[in-house]
Amino acid sequence: MTGVLAIDPLLFGELKWMPLVIVALKVLVIFVVGLVGTMFMVWFERKVIAGMQNRIGPNKAGPFGILQTLADGVKLFFKEDLLPDRADRFVFRLAPFLAFVPAFLVWAVLPLGGDYRDGNRGLVEWFGHATRVQLADPPVGILLVLALSSIAVYGIMLAGWSSGSKYPLLGAVRATAQMVSYEAALGLSLAAVLLTSGSLSTVGIVGTQDSLSNWNVVATGVVPFVIFVIAATAELNRPPFDLVEAEQELVGGFNTEYSSLRFALFFLAEFMNTITMSGVIVTLFLGGPQPLAIGDWTADIPLVGNGLEGTIWFLLKLLLFLYIYVWFRATLPRLRYDQLMDLGWKVLIPISLGWFLLLAALRLGRDEDWNVWLVAGVSVAGLLVAAVVMFGAMKVSGRNRQQGAVY
Amino acid sequence: MSQYLPVVALAIVTVLFGALSFGASRLLAPRRPSSAKSAPYECGILPSQEPPERFPVSFYIVAMLFIMFDIEIIFVYPYAVARSSLGLYGFVAIVVFSVLFFLTFVYEVARGGLDWGPLQRSRNLESAAAVVSPERTTTTTIRRVGTEGRGEPGEAA
Repeated sequence: MTGVLAIDPLLFGELKWMPLVIVALKVLVIFVVGLVGTMFMVWFERKVIAGMQNRIGPNKAGPFGILQTLADGVKLFFKEDLLPDRADRFVFRLAPFLAFVPAFLVWAVLPLGGDYRDGNRGLVEWFGHATRVQLADPPVGILLVLALSSIAVYGIMLAGWSSGSKYPLLGAVRATAQMVSYEAALGLSLAAVLLTSGSLSTVGIVGTQDSLSNWNVVATGVVPFVIFVIAATAELNRPPFDLVEAEQELVGGFNTEYSSLRFALFFLAEFMNTITMSGVIVTLFLGGPQPLAIGDWTADIPLVGNGLEGTIWFLLKLLLFLYIYVWFRATLPRLRYDQLMDLGWKVLIPISLGWFLLLAALRLGRDEDWNVWLVAGVSVAGLLVAAVVMFGAMKVSGRNRQQGAVY
Repeated sequence: MSQYLPVVALAIVTVLFGALSFGASRLLAPRRPSSAKSAPYECGILPSQEPPERFPVSFYIVAMLFIMFDIEIIFVYPYAVARSSLGLYGFVAIVVFSVLFFLTFVYEVARGGLDWGPLQRSRNLESAAAVVSPERTTTTTIRRVGTEGRGEPGEAA
Protein backbone atom coordinates (compact mmCIF):
# COMPACT_ATOMS: atom_id res chain seq x y z
CA MET A 1 0.00 0.00 0.00
CA THR A 2 2.76 2.43 0.93
CA GLY A 3 4.48 1.53 -2.30
CA VAL A 4 1.52 2.76 -4.30
CA LEU A 5 1.03 5.85 -2.16
CA ALA A 6 4.68 6.80 -2.32
CA ILE A 7 4.56 7.24 -6.08
CA ASP A 8 4.28 10.80 -7.29
CA PRO A 9 0.77 10.99 -8.78
CA LEU A 10 2.07 13.52 -11.29
CA LEU A 11 4.02 10.85 -13.12
CA PHE A 12 1.47 8.13 -12.76
CA GLY A 13 -0.23 6.76 -15.84
CA GLU A 14 0.54 8.16 -19.26
CA LEU A 15 2.62 11.29 -19.60
CA LYS A 16 0.86 14.45 -20.73
CA TRP A 17 2.07 17.94 -21.55
CA MET A 18 1.35 19.72 -18.30
CA PRO A 19 3.11 17.20 -16.03
CA LEU A 20 6.15 17.36 -18.28
CA VAL A 21 6.22 21.15 -18.01
CA ILE A 22 5.94 20.90 -14.24
CA VAL A 23 8.78 18.38 -14.16
CA ALA A 24 10.95 20.60 -16.34
CA LEU A 25 10.22 23.56 -14.05
CA LYS A 26 11.08 21.49 -11.00
CA VAL A 27 14.36 20.34 -12.53
CA LEU A 28 15.36 23.91 -13.32
CA VAL A 29 14.31 25.24 -9.93
CA ILE A 30 16.16 22.46 -8.07
CA PHE A 31 19.25 23.01 -10.18
CA VAL A 32 19.30 26.76 -9.63
CA VAL A 33 18.46 26.43 -5.94
CA GLY A 34 21.24 23.87 -5.64
CA LEU A 35 23.82 26.15 -7.22
CA VAL A 36 22.73 29.26 -5.34
CA GLY A 37 22.51 27.25 -2.13
CA THR A 38 26.07 26.06 -2.59
CA MET A 39 27.27 29.60 -3.14
CA PHE A 40 25.42 30.63 -0.03
CA MET A 41 26.95 27.75 1.91
CA VAL A 42 30.51 28.75 0.96
CA TRP A 43 29.80 32.32 2.04
CA PHE A 44 28.02 31.14 5.20
CA GLU A 45 30.92 28.93 6.19
CA ARG A 46 33.51 31.64 5.62
CA LYS A 47 31.47 34.24 7.45
CA VAL A 48 30.57 32.07 10.43
CA ILE A 49 34.07 30.69 10.83
CA ALA A 50 35.42 34.23 10.60
CA GLY A 51 33.10 35.20 13.43
CA MET A 52 34.27 32.25 15.49
CA GLN A 53 37.89 33.21 14.91
CA ASN A 54 37.26 36.86 15.68
CA ARG A 55 37.79 38.03 12.11
CA ILE A 56 35.46 39.84 9.72
CA GLY A 57 35.52 37.43 6.81
CA PRO A 58 34.50 38.30 3.25
CA ASN A 59 32.98 41.79 3.21
CA LYS A 60 33.88 43.42 -0.09
CA ALA A 61 31.83 41.74 -2.83
CA GLY A 62 28.20 42.71 -2.38
CA PRO A 63 26.39 43.34 0.90
CA PHE A 64 28.15 41.41 3.71
CA GLY A 65 30.40 39.87 1.06
CA ILE A 66 27.59 37.61 -0.06
CA LEU A 67 28.74 37.69 -3.69
CA GLN A 68 32.26 36.57 -2.79
CA THR A 69 31.67 33.01 -4.01
CA LEU A 70 30.33 34.29 -7.31
CA ALA A 71 33.42 36.44 -7.72
CA ASP A 72 35.66 33.48 -6.96
CA GLY A 73 33.75 31.34 -9.43
CA VAL A 74 34.07 33.92 -12.18
CA LYS A 75 37.77 34.20 -11.44
CA LEU A 76 38.21 30.46 -11.87
CA PHE A 77 36.73 30.70 -15.38
CA PHE A 78 39.67 32.90 -16.36
CA LYS A 79 42.35 30.62 -14.96
CA GLU A 80 44.52 28.34 -17.02
CA ASP A 81 43.38 24.74 -17.15
CA LEU A 82 46.38 22.49 -16.59
CA LEU A 83 46.66 18.88 -17.65
CA PRO A 84 49.73 17.27 -16.07
CA ASP A 85 52.04 15.24 -18.32
CA ARG A 86 51.73 12.10 -16.26
CA ALA A 87 47.94 12.30 -16.05
CA ASP A 88 45.62 9.76 -17.57
CA ARG A 89 43.85 12.22 -19.81
CA PHE A 90 40.41 10.65 -20.06
CA VAL A 91 40.04 9.72 -16.39
CA PHE A 92 41.49 13.05 -15.30
CA ARG A 93 38.74 14.83 -17.23
CA LEU A 94 36.02 12.41 -16.14
CA ALA A 95 36.70 12.53 -12.39
CA PRO A 96 35.27 16.01 -11.63
CA PHE A 97 31.99 14.98 -13.24
CA LEU A 98 31.86 11.82 -11.16
CA ALA A 99 32.14 13.96 -8.06
CA PHE A 100 29.86 16.77 -9.20
CA VAL A 101 26.87 15.01 -10.79
CA PRO A 102 26.02 12.66 -7.88
CA ALA A 103 26.25 15.60 -5.47
CA PHE A 104 23.47 17.30 -7.43
CA LEU A 105 21.34 14.21 -7.93
CA VAL A 106 20.81 13.65 -4.22
CA TRP A 107 18.62 16.74 -4.26
CA ALA A 108 16.16 14.90 -6.46
CA VAL A 109 14.89 12.55 -3.76
CA LEU A 110 14.81 14.93 -0.77
CA PRO A 111 11.37 16.24 0.21
CA LEU A 112 11.98 19.99 0.22
CA GLY A 113 8.56 20.94 1.50
CA GLY A 114 4.91 20.10 1.16
CA ASP A 115 2.05 19.49 3.49
CA TYR A 116 2.58 16.40 5.62
CA ARG A 117 -0.05 17.21 8.24
CA ASP A 118 -3.02 14.96 8.96
CA GLY A 119 -1.60 12.16 6.85
CA ASN A 120 -1.42 14.34 3.75
CA ARG A 121 1.81 12.72 2.55
CA GLY A 122 3.26 15.92 1.18
CA LEU A 123 0.90 16.52 -1.71
CA VAL A 124 0.41 20.08 -2.97
CA GLU A 125 -1.62 21.39 -5.88
CA TRP A 126 0.28 23.05 -8.72
CA PHE A 127 -1.52 24.19 -11.89
CA GLY A 128 -4.36 21.85 -11.04
CA HIS A 129 -2.09 18.84 -10.65
CA ALA A 130 -1.37 17.11 -7.36
CA THR A 131 2.37 16.78 -6.90
CA ARG A 132 5.15 16.89 -4.33
CA VAL A 133 7.72 19.56 -3.51
CA GLN A 134 10.41 17.12 -4.48
CA LEU A 135 11.76 16.18 -7.84
CA ALA A 136 11.22 12.45 -7.74
CA ASP A 137 10.05 9.92 -5.23
CA PRO A 138 11.35 6.56 -6.33
CA PRO A 139 10.36 3.70 -4.00
CA VAL A 140 14.08 3.12 -3.27
CA GLY A 141 14.82 6.78 -2.47
CA ILE A 142 17.31 6.21 0.33
CA LEU A 143 19.15 3.48 -1.58
CA LEU A 144 19.57 5.99 -4.38
CA VAL A 145 21.21 8.40 -1.93
CA LEU A 146 23.61 5.68 -0.76
CA ALA A 147 24.39 4.65 -4.34
CA LEU A 148 25.14 8.24 -5.33
CA SER A 149 27.42 8.76 -2.36
CA SER A 150 29.27 5.59 -3.42
CA ILE A 151 29.77 6.99 -6.91
CA ALA A 152 31.21 10.15 -5.37
CA VAL A 153 33.98 7.96 -3.90
CA TYR A 154 34.94 7.01 -7.45
CA GLY A 155 35.24 10.67 -8.36
CA ILE A 156 37.77 11.28 -5.60
CA MET A 157 39.64 8.01 -6.07
CA LEU A 158 40.01 8.39 -9.83
CA ALA A 159 40.96 12.06 -9.50
CA GLY A 160 43.88 11.14 -7.27
CA TRP A 161 44.91 8.10 -9.28
CA SER A 162 44.77 9.76 -12.68
CA SER A 163 46.87 12.75 -11.61
CA GLY A 164 50.06 10.68 -11.81
CA SER A 165 51.49 12.53 -8.85
CA LYS A 166 52.45 11.56 -5.33
CA TYR A 167 50.28 13.64 -3.05
CA PRO A 168 47.00 13.24 -4.92
CA LEU A 169 47.53 9.48 -5.01
CA LEU A 170 48.14 9.28 -1.27
CA GLY A 171 45.16 11.55 -0.62
CA ALA A 172 42.95 9.43 -2.84
CA VAL A 173 43.95 6.17 -1.16
CA ARG A 174 43.28 7.67 2.23
CA ALA A 175 39.98 9.12 1.07
CA THR A 176 38.80 5.84 -0.37
CA ALA A 177 39.61 3.87 2.78
CA GLN A 178 37.99 6.52 4.95
CA MET A 179 34.81 6.93 2.94
CA VAL A 180 34.39 3.20 2.52
CA SER A 181 34.81 2.61 6.26
CA TYR A 182 32.34 5.22 7.31
CA GLU A 183 29.88 4.21 4.64
CA ALA A 184 29.46 0.93 6.51
CA ALA A 185 28.68 2.81 9.73
CA LEU A 186 26.36 5.12 7.81
CA GLY A 187 24.48 2.22 6.24
CA LEU A 188 24.10 0.32 9.50
CA SER A 189 22.80 3.31 11.46
CA LEU A 190 20.40 3.97 8.60
CA ALA A 191 18.98 0.46 9.05
CA ALA A 192 17.59 1.55 12.43
CA VAL A 193 15.62 4.31 10.69
CA LEU A 194 14.27 1.88 8.11
CA LEU A 195 13.21 -0.39 10.94
CA THR A 196 10.98 2.31 12.48
CA SER A 197 9.75 3.70 9.16
CA GLY A 198 9.30 0.44 7.29
CA SER A 199 9.89 2.19 3.98
CA LEU A 200 12.80 3.11 1.75
CA SER A 201 11.02 6.01 0.07
CA THR A 202 11.84 9.44 1.49
CA VAL A 203 8.15 10.38 1.53
CA GLY A 204 7.39 7.25 3.52
CA ILE A 205 10.17 8.01 5.99
CA VAL A 206 9.02 11.62 6.48
CA GLY A 207 5.37 10.52 6.67
CA THR A 208 5.90 8.39 9.77
CA GLN A 209 7.55 11.21 11.75
CA ASP A 210 4.42 13.21 12.54
CA SER A 211 5.28 14.36 16.07
CA LEU A 212 8.38 14.92 18.13
CA SER A 213 8.17 11.51 19.79
CA ASN A 214 7.91 9.94 16.32
CA TRP A 215 10.88 11.82 14.90
CA ASN A 216 13.43 9.14 14.24
CA VAL A 217 16.02 10.89 16.38
CA VAL A 218 13.79 10.02 19.35
CA ALA A 219 12.08 6.90 18.01
CA THR A 220 15.34 5.08 17.30
CA GLY A 221 16.97 6.25 20.53
CA VAL A 222 19.55 8.96 19.90
CA VAL A 223 22.42 6.51 19.16
CA PRO A 224 21.83 5.95 15.40
CA PHE A 225 21.43 9.71 14.95
CA VAL A 226 24.78 10.45 16.59
CA ILE A 227 26.50 7.70 14.61
CA PHE A 228 24.91 8.91 11.39
CA VAL A 229 26.04 12.50 11.96
CA ILE A 230 29.62 11.42 12.72
CA ALA A 231 29.73 9.03 9.76
CA ALA A 232 28.23 11.67 7.47
CA THR A 233 30.89 14.16 8.54
CA ALA A 234 33.54 11.60 7.67
CA GLU A 235 31.80 10.78 4.39
CA LEU A 236 31.93 14.48 3.49
CA ASN A 237 35.65 14.68 4.35
CA ARG A 238 34.88 17.66 6.52
CA PRO A 239 36.81 18.56 9.65
CA PRO A 240 37.62 16.84 11.97
CA PHE A 241 37.79 14.07 9.36
CA ASP A 242 39.50 16.04 6.60
CA LEU A 243 42.59 13.84 6.40
CA VAL A 244 41.94 13.59 2.70
CA GLU A 245 43.17 17.11 2.20
CA ALA A 246 45.37 17.49 5.23
CA GLU A 247 47.38 20.43 3.92
CA GLN A 248 50.36 19.89 6.17
CA GLU A 249 50.95 16.38 4.88
CA LEU A 250 49.38 16.15 1.45
CA VAL A 251 49.42 19.68 -0.02
CA GLY A 252 45.85 19.66 -1.37
CA GLY A 253 45.06 15.96 -1.30
CA PHE A 254 43.32 14.36 -4.25
CA ASN A 255 42.76 17.63 -6.11
CA THR A 256 46.32 18.98 -5.93
CA GLU A 257 46.81 18.76 -9.70
CA TYR A 258 43.45 20.27 -10.55
CA SER A 259 43.09 23.89 -11.51
CA SER A 260 40.58 26.24 -13.03
CA LEU A 261 37.06 24.89 -13.57
CA ARG A 262 37.94 21.29 -12.84
CA PHE A 263 38.92 22.37 -9.35
CA ALA A 264 35.78 24.50 -9.14
CA LEU A 265 33.65 21.42 -9.82
CA PHE A 266 35.30 19.50 -6.97
CA PHE A 267 34.86 22.50 -4.72
CA LEU A 268 31.19 22.87 -5.67
CA ALA A 269 30.62 19.15 -5.16
CA GLU A 270 32.15 19.29 -1.69
CA PHE A 271 29.89 22.06 -0.48
CA MET A 272 26.89 20.68 -2.32
CA ASN A 273 27.45 17.38 -0.52
CA THR A 274 27.49 19.22 2.80
CA ILE A 275 24.07 20.67 2.08
CA THR A 276 22.55 17.50 0.68
CA MET A 277 23.91 15.37 3.50
CA SER A 278 22.40 17.80 6.01
CA GLY A 279 19.17 17.47 4.04
CA VAL A 280 19.40 13.68 4.28
CA ILE A 281 19.95 13.88 8.05
CA VAL A 282 16.95 16.20 8.41
CA THR A 283 14.81 13.88 6.29
CA LEU A 284 15.84 10.74 8.10
CA PHE A 285 15.95 11.87 11.69
CA LEU A 286 14.23 15.24 12.16
CA GLY A 287 11.06 14.74 10.14
CA GLY A 288 12.05 16.76 7.07
CA PRO A 289 9.26 19.25 6.30
CA GLN A 290 7.13 18.12 9.24
CA PRO A 291 6.36 20.91 11.70
CA LEU A 292 7.43 20.58 15.31
CA ALA A 293 4.57 18.83 17.09
CA ILE A 294 4.45 17.67 20.69
CA GLY A 295 1.42 15.56 21.53
CA ASP A 296 -1.62 17.43 20.16
CA TRP A 297 0.13 20.77 19.99
CA THR A 298 1.66 21.79 16.65
CA ALA A 299 3.98 24.74 16.14
CA ASP A 300 2.16 26.66 13.43
CA ILE A 301 3.81 29.47 11.50
CA PRO A 302 1.10 32.13 11.10
CA LEU A 303 0.12 33.67 7.76
CA VAL A 304 1.75 30.87 5.77
CA GLY A 305 -0.11 28.03 4.10
CA ASN A 306 0.63 24.49 5.15
CA GLY A 307 2.34 23.71 1.84
CA LEU A 308 4.87 26.53 2.10
CA GLU A 309 5.31 25.97 5.81
CA GLY A 310 6.90 22.59 5.09
CA THR A 311 9.64 24.31 3.11
CA ILE A 312 10.26 26.78 5.94
CA TRP A 313 10.58 24.00 8.51
CA PHE A 314 12.91 22.08 6.22
CA LEU A 315 15.12 25.15 5.74
CA LEU A 316 15.24 25.89 9.47
CA LYS A 317 16.35 22.34 10.27
CA LEU A 318 18.80 22.38 7.38
CA LEU A 319 20.40 25.63 8.58
CA LEU A 320 20.85 24.08 12.02
CA PHE A 321 22.98 21.30 10.55
CA LEU A 322 24.90 23.61 8.22
CA TYR A 323 25.80 25.67 11.26
CA ILE A 324 26.79 22.57 13.21
CA TYR A 325 29.15 21.52 10.40
CA VAL A 326 30.87 24.90 10.44
CA TRP A 327 31.01 24.73 14.21
CA PHE A 328 32.71 21.31 14.02
CA ARG A 329 35.32 22.82 11.74
CA ALA A 330 36.01 25.72 14.08
CA THR A 331 36.16 23.56 17.19
CA LEU A 332 37.56 20.11 16.59
CA PRO A 333 41.18 19.30 15.75
CA ARG A 334 41.87 16.81 12.98
CA LEU A 335 42.10 13.14 13.91
CA ARG A 336 45.19 11.03 13.38
CA TYR A 337 44.75 8.36 10.72
CA ASP A 338 44.81 5.36 13.08
CA GLN A 339 42.36 7.15 15.39
CA LEU A 340 40.09 7.75 12.43
CA MET A 341 40.07 4.10 11.39
CA ASP A 342 39.70 2.87 14.97
CA LEU A 343 36.74 5.16 15.56
CA GLY A 344 35.04 3.93 12.40
CA TRP A 345 35.68 0.21 12.64
CA LYS A 346 36.00 -0.52 16.33
CA VAL A 347 33.47 1.92 17.74
CA LEU A 348 30.83 3.14 15.30
CA ILE A 349 30.25 -0.03 13.26
CA PRO A 350 29.87 -2.48 16.18
CA ILE A 351 27.67 -0.05 18.11
CA SER A 352 25.38 0.62 15.16
CA LEU A 353 25.03 -3.09 14.38
CA GLY A 354 24.32 -3.89 18.02
CA TRP A 355 21.81 -1.07 18.32
CA PHE A 356 20.00 -2.25 15.21
CA LEU A 357 19.67 -5.76 16.63
CA LEU A 358 18.47 -4.35 19.97
CA LEU A 359 15.76 -2.28 18.25
CA ALA A 360 14.75 -5.21 16.07
CA ALA A 361 14.44 -7.46 19.14
CA LEU A 362 12.34 -4.87 21.00
CA ARG A 363 9.99 -4.44 18.06
CA LEU A 364 9.68 -8.17 17.57
CA GLY A 365 8.93 -8.55 21.27
CA ARG A 366 6.19 -5.92 20.99
CA ASP A 367 4.65 -7.67 17.99
CA GLU A 368 4.69 -11.06 19.67
CA ASP A 369 3.50 -9.70 23.05
CA TRP A 370 6.56 -10.84 24.94
CA ASN A 371 7.57 -9.30 28.26
CA VAL A 372 9.38 -6.08 27.35
CA TRP A 373 11.84 -6.23 30.24
CA LEU A 374 12.72 -9.84 29.53
CA VAL A 375 13.41 -9.05 25.85
CA ALA A 376 15.43 -5.97 26.74
CA GLY A 377 17.39 -7.88 29.41
CA VAL A 378 18.25 -10.79 27.11
CA SER A 379 19.25 -8.44 24.25
CA VAL A 380 21.41 -6.24 26.45
CA ALA A 381 23.06 -9.34 27.92
CA GLY A 382 23.81 -10.59 24.39
CA LEU A 383 25.26 -7.22 23.41
CA LEU A 384 27.40 -7.14 26.56
CA VAL A 385 28.84 -10.55 25.65
CA ALA A 386 29.61 -9.22 22.17
CA ALA A 387 31.25 -6.14 23.69
CA VAL A 388 33.41 -8.31 25.96
CA VAL A 389 34.50 -10.42 22.97
CA MET A 390 35.29 -7.25 21.03
CA PHE A 391 37.37 -5.78 23.85
CA GLY A 392 39.15 -9.12 24.21
CA ALA A 393 40.05 -9.03 20.51
CA MET A 394 41.37 -5.49 20.81
CA LYS A 395 43.42 -6.51 23.82
CA VAL A 396 44.91 -9.49 21.97
CA SER A 397 45.85 -7.37 18.97
CA GLY A 398 47.35 -4.73 21.25
CA ARG A 399 49.43 -7.34 23.07
CA ASN A 400 50.63 -8.87 19.83
CA ARG A 401 51.70 -5.45 18.63
CA GLN A 402 53.61 -4.77 21.82
CA GLN A 403 55.48 -8.02 21.37
CA GLY A 404 56.15 -7.19 17.77
CA ALA A 405 54.45 -10.31 16.45
CA VAL A 406 54.86 -10.75 12.72
CA TYR A 407 52.13 -12.35 10.68
CA MET B 1 10.03 3.81 -14.61
CA SER B 2 8.67 7.28 -15.25
CA GLN B 3 9.37 8.02 -11.57
CA TYR B 4 13.05 8.17 -12.48
CA LEU B 5 12.55 10.52 -15.41
CA PRO B 6 13.14 13.70 -13.36
CA VAL B 7 16.34 12.23 -11.92
CA VAL B 8 17.63 11.51 -15.41
CA ALA B 9 16.62 15.02 -16.49
CA LEU B 10 18.51 16.55 -13.57
CA ALA B 11 21.57 14.43 -14.41
CA ILE B 12 21.49 15.69 -18.00
CA VAL B 13 21.16 19.31 -16.85
CA THR B 14 24.12 18.89 -14.48
CA VAL B 15 26.36 17.27 -17.09
CA LEU B 16 25.39 20.01 -19.55
CA PHE B 17 26.23 22.68 -16.98
CA GLY B 18 29.65 21.16 -16.45
CA ALA B 19 30.32 20.78 -20.17
CA LEU B 20 29.20 24.34 -20.96
CA SER B 21 31.37 25.70 -18.17
CA PHE B 22 34.35 23.88 -19.65
CA GLY B 23 33.53 25.35 -23.04
CA ALA B 24 33.37 28.86 -21.55
CA SER B 25 36.58 28.33 -19.63
CA ARG B 26 38.33 27.08 -22.77
CA LEU B 27 37.37 30.31 -24.54
CA LEU B 28 38.19 32.63 -21.66
CA ALA B 29 41.22 31.09 -20.01
CA PRO B 30 44.79 31.72 -21.15
CA ARG B 31 46.83 28.84 -22.50
CA ARG B 32 50.52 29.11 -21.74
CA PRO B 33 51.71 25.61 -20.93
CA SER B 34 55.25 25.07 -19.79
CA SER B 35 57.15 22.02 -18.69
CA ALA B 36 57.23 23.24 -15.10
CA LYS B 37 53.47 23.65 -15.03
CA SER B 38 52.74 20.20 -16.36
CA ALA B 39 55.20 18.43 -14.08
CA PRO B 40 53.78 16.71 -10.98
CA TYR B 41 53.30 19.27 -8.23
CA GLU B 42 55.66 18.71 -5.36
CA CYS B 43 55.91 22.14 -3.80
CA GLY B 44 58.70 23.27 -6.11
CA ILE B 45 61.00 20.32 -5.45
CA LEU B 46 61.95 18.38 -8.56
CA PRO B 47 60.20 15.01 -8.42
CA SER B 48 62.87 12.42 -7.65
CA GLN B 49 60.74 9.34 -7.05
CA GLU B 50 57.93 7.82 -9.03
CA PRO B 51 54.54 7.78 -7.30
CA PRO B 52 54.20 4.47 -5.47
CA GLU B 53 52.61 1.60 -7.30
CA ARG B 54 52.02 -0.49 -4.22
CA PHE B 55 50.11 0.34 -1.07
CA PRO B 56 50.19 -1.03 2.45
CA VAL B 57 48.08 -4.16 2.57
CA SER B 58 45.90 -2.60 5.30
CA PHE B 59 44.05 -0.62 2.68
CA TYR B 60 43.12 -3.80 0.83
CA ILE B 61 41.96 -5.38 4.08
CA VAL B 62 39.73 -2.39 4.70
CA ALA B 63 38.30 -2.71 1.21
CA MET B 64 37.56 -6.41 1.70
CA LEU B 65 36.00 -5.80 5.12
CA PHE B 66 33.83 -3.14 3.54
CA ILE B 67 32.47 -5.68 1.07
CA MET B 68 31.62 -7.94 4.01
CA PHE B 69 29.78 -5.14 5.73
CA ASP B 70 28.00 -4.23 2.53
CA ILE B 71 26.68 -7.77 2.37
CA GLU B 72 25.48 -7.42 5.95
CA ILE B 73 23.78 -4.14 5.04
CA ILE B 74 22.15 -5.65 1.97
CA PHE B 75 20.86 -8.45 4.16
CA VAL B 76 19.62 -6.11 6.88
CA TYR B 77 17.72 -3.55 4.77
CA PRO B 78 15.06 -5.89 3.36
CA TYR B 79 14.51 -7.23 6.86
CA ALA B 80 14.18 -3.70 8.26
CA VAL B 81 11.56 -2.80 5.67
CA ALA B 82 9.59 -6.05 5.74
CA ARG B 83 10.05 -6.79 9.44
CA SER B 84 6.40 -7.20 10.36
CA SER B 85 5.70 -9.82 7.70
CA LEU B 86 8.89 -11.78 8.37
CA GLY B 87 8.27 -12.12 12.10
CA LEU B 88 10.37 -14.34 14.36
CA TYR B 89 11.89 -16.34 11.51
CA GLY B 90 13.40 -13.23 9.89
CA PHE B 91 14.80 -12.02 13.20
CA VAL B 92 16.48 -15.35 13.94
CA ALA B 93 17.99 -15.37 10.45
CA ILE B 94 19.37 -11.86 10.97
CA VAL B 95 20.80 -12.71 14.38
CA VAL B 96 22.46 -15.91 13.17
CA PHE B 97 24.01 -14.12 10.23
CA SER B 98 25.13 -11.18 12.38
CA VAL B 99 26.73 -13.44 14.96
CA LEU B 100 28.73 -15.38 12.34
CA PHE B 101 29.65 -12.11 10.74
CA PHE B 102 30.65 -10.50 14.02
CA LEU B 103 32.88 -13.44 14.93
CA THR B 104 34.84 -13.16 11.69
CA PHE B 105 35.14 -9.42 12.29
CA VAL B 106 36.41 -10.01 15.82
CA TYR B 107 38.97 -12.50 14.48
CA GLU B 108 40.12 -9.89 12.00
CA VAL B 109 40.51 -7.32 14.78
CA ALA B 110 42.33 -9.77 17.05
CA ARG B 111 44.81 -10.63 14.28
CA GLY B 112 45.61 -6.93 14.01
CA GLY B 113 44.05 -6.44 10.58
CA LEU B 114 42.76 -3.04 11.57
CA ASP B 115 45.86 -1.74 13.34
CA TRP B 116 47.38 1.29 11.70
CA GLY B 117 50.75 2.91 11.71
CA PRO B 118 53.56 2.57 14.21
CA LEU B 119 52.89 1.81 17.83
CA GLN B 120 52.13 4.94 19.83
CA ARG B 121 54.24 5.02 22.97
CA SER B 122 54.44 7.83 25.44
CA ARG B 123 57.94 9.18 25.21
CA ASN B 124 60.06 10.59 27.98
CA LEU B 125 60.66 14.06 26.61
CA GLU B 126 63.57 14.94 28.89
CA SER B 127 65.66 11.90 28.09
CA ALA B 128 64.82 12.35 24.42
CA ALA B 129 66.03 15.94 24.55
CA ALA B 130 69.26 14.84 26.19
CA VAL B 131 70.18 12.53 23.32
CA VAL B 132 70.53 15.18 20.66
CA SER B 133 72.27 13.87 17.62
CA PRO B 134 71.89 14.45 13.90
CA GLU B 135 71.75 10.69 13.29
CA ARG B 136 68.53 8.76 12.93
CA THR B 137 67.75 6.65 15.97
CA THR B 138 65.96 3.34 16.29
CA THR B 139 62.76 4.96 17.50
CA THR B 140 62.39 7.81 15.07
CA THR B 141 63.45 8.80 11.59
CA ILE B 142 63.56 12.46 12.52
CA ARG B 143 67.07 13.82 12.78
CA ARG B 144 67.47 15.83 15.92
CA VAL B 145 69.62 18.80 15.21
CA GLY B 146 71.81 19.84 18.09
CA THR B 147 73.78 22.99 18.68
CA GLU B 148 77.11 21.71 17.30
CA GLY B 149 78.37 23.70 14.37
CA ARG B 150 76.45 26.75 15.42
CA GLY B 151 77.99 29.82 16.85
CA GLU B 152 77.32 31.19 20.28
CA PRO B 153 74.05 33.09 20.61
CA GLY B 154 74.50 36.65 19.50
CA GLU B 155 77.58 35.88 17.43
CA ALA B 156 77.22 36.66 13.75
CA ALA B 157 76.96 33.50 11.67
